[in-house]
Amino acid sequence: MLNPIVKKDVKVQSRSMRICWGVFIYELILALAFFLAMIIMEQQIRFSTSNIYSAMVWLYPVLALTQIGILGLIVPVRTASAISGEKERQTFDIMLTTSMTAFSVVMGKVMTAMIQSMFFVIASMPVMALSFVIGGMSWGYLFGFLALALLVSLFSASIGILCSSLCKKSISAVIMSYIIYIVFFLGTFLPYLLYEVALMNAAYSTTQTTNAALTYTYGENLYLFLLVNPAVYLAEFFGRVMTGESVVNTFATLTGAHQTKGLINHVATGSRWMVISTVLFVGISFLFLWLASKRIDPIKRRAKKRAKKQMQQPDMQVIVQENIMQKPEDGQ
Amino acid sequence: MLQINHLYKSYGKFQAVSDLSLHIPKGDLFGFVGPNGAGKTTTIRMVCGLMLPNAGTIKINGVDALANQKEIKKQIGYVPDFFGVYDNLKVREYMDFYGSMYRMHSREIAQIAGDLLELVNLSDKTEVYVDTLSRGMKQRLCVARALIHNPALLVLDEPNSGLDPRARVEMKELLLNLKSMGKTIVISSHILSELSEMCNSIGIMDHGHLVAAGRIEDVMDDVFGSNQLVVTFDEGRERAVRIANEYAGVKVTSVGEKEMKLSHSMTKQEIAGMIATMIENEVVVTGFHRQEGNLETLFMRVTENAGAQEGGNDYAESNR
Repeated sequence: MLNPIVKKDVKVQSRSMRICWGVFIYELILALAFFLAMIIMEQQIRFSTSNIYSAMVWLYPVLALTQIGILGLIVPVRTASAISGEKERQTFDIMLTTSMTAFSVVMGKVMTAMIQSMFFVIASMPVMALSFVIGGMSWGYLFGFLALALLVSLFSASIGILCSSLCKKSISAVIMSYIIYIVFFLGTFLPYLLYEVALMNAAYSTTQTTNAALTYTYGENLYLFLLVNPAVYLAEFFGRVMTGESVVNTFATLTGAHQTKGLINHVATGSRWMVISTVLFVGISFLFLWLASKRIDPIKRRAKKRAKKQMQQPDMQVIVQENIMQKPEDGQ
Repeated sequence: MLQINHLYKSYGKFQAVSDLSLHIPKGDLFGFVGPNGAGKTTTIRMVCGLMLPNAGTIKINGVDALANQKEIKKQIGYVPDFFGVYDNLKVREYMDFYGSMYRMHSREIAQIAGDLLELVNLSDKTEVYVDTLSRGMKQRLCVARALIHNPALLVLDEPNSGLDPRARVEMKELLLNLKSMGKTIVISSHILSELSEMCNSIGIMDHGHLVAAGRIEDVMDDVFGSNQLVVTFDEGRERAVRIANEYAGVKVTSVGEKEMKLSHSMTKQEIAGMIATMIENEVVVTGFHRQEGNLETLFMRVTENAGAQEGGNDYAESNR
């Protein structure tokens, strides 16, 4: 049975002109990216022996990354208002008094966001198809891109929903979503950067022998944080598609991570990195959704247990003094 | 039907609901009255599972509402004090949406929604967008929506706020209709005159406490006393006062130009005897009746003496 929220939201949004304008602007941005890429290619080919058709395969990463970028930007905006919008419309309480669980509500909102995203992506297929029809890209990569777009939508939507459940206002939720993005994009680079700085300091301050010992220990395992870095994930995905080589494997070889001890040696080989990274992104998305559902659930499990425990105690006045202090709602 | 025992809820240091105990029998139309901030909405939200109490139990049809949320949600229909509607959704789709949220089949929803829309006089609006309906229609639609899963208990929080007089009358008729169908209804409102016309029982809250509760007549008797008598006359005021004072257990509380008020502990026969004596002594008695209060005066009396009154029957068991 289809989630009622998905059914309703898709129906309501499809009647709005906003979705038409959204697709129009999306296509417009893609068209601009397409023409810009064509101009650059044309300039490059003028000074080389290769023909324009073989260069057109590069439309694939250009258009795909443009779309991923747009999705990454708009999905949190759409989902950040999912819960707070229901609250503002004052339909949220009614929703929670029905048989729907908090997780079903959250999943309904995420699925709506994913369907919307895929609607945009599928609408862009004619533009994307140019790199397949003229450029000679394999059609398998098209499905690869669709899967990537789904993953990006799920991840972005889960961040948006989590922020929407944490913030009262939609705008705060959007800002918080972008801050979480920054944490994933830049924050996961920090351990690697700090380790590199430490290594450089060690190289300047110690002898050659000590430096070698420092390099090939467990330190390189800090690179594992990059498993949840979206930029690294995209680089790995498009690196494999366009050149057939793994960016991570090359990086691991260059930094000597393959010679180190610990997990990194096993993870940064072959296609393992990509698989583990995908699983982690899906896992984090569901973790965020679970947290959001706990956040919006008015009868939180832990509080319920505490309430039951309190009820078993004889002196109610004592209980009141020890009550869970909660913020006022609705002025009551 | 609804059994609340020693319910507490605080927001920080503010005690919103304190030691609330209440029992509402099946089939009652219960009016929840109280000034702003008295704790009515908090209590209603806790009953509907939208808020967790700090202590106490809520049972609906004997089922613990806190421990069995899934079961309880099927037994409650909630109408908040606002219209939760969506743009670009038709009346039929609105009902369909909420029906499917209770995991009902579309055929079942269509059938029940048709009956409910007829009940709330909206059967000709099924293909109309919800946001184009009038306020009164939206509120009736909300009631129909709350009944889609046939709940045993219908809870309405200020359903008449912002409605015009006609819409209020229609809402009152709808609720009375539902009551006659055997639904248990809890309604919170500030419009006391309407509550007194609709409800057979009330609960008055003030500063988080339930200060009075029960059948309206019983609460009136508790507050005003059932032994207040008003005697009206044209002539013979002094004689009437003298005769009244001659009866043991009678106290004249006030004397006006053409009426006097007594508090007494007489039987009906003794009252008849006293009136007969007055007439025999040439007092021109034009009438006599038990002094009746109304919900407004009851509310004012009870809330101004908050803390002094306590519910005295099976509805309220306030333990302050």
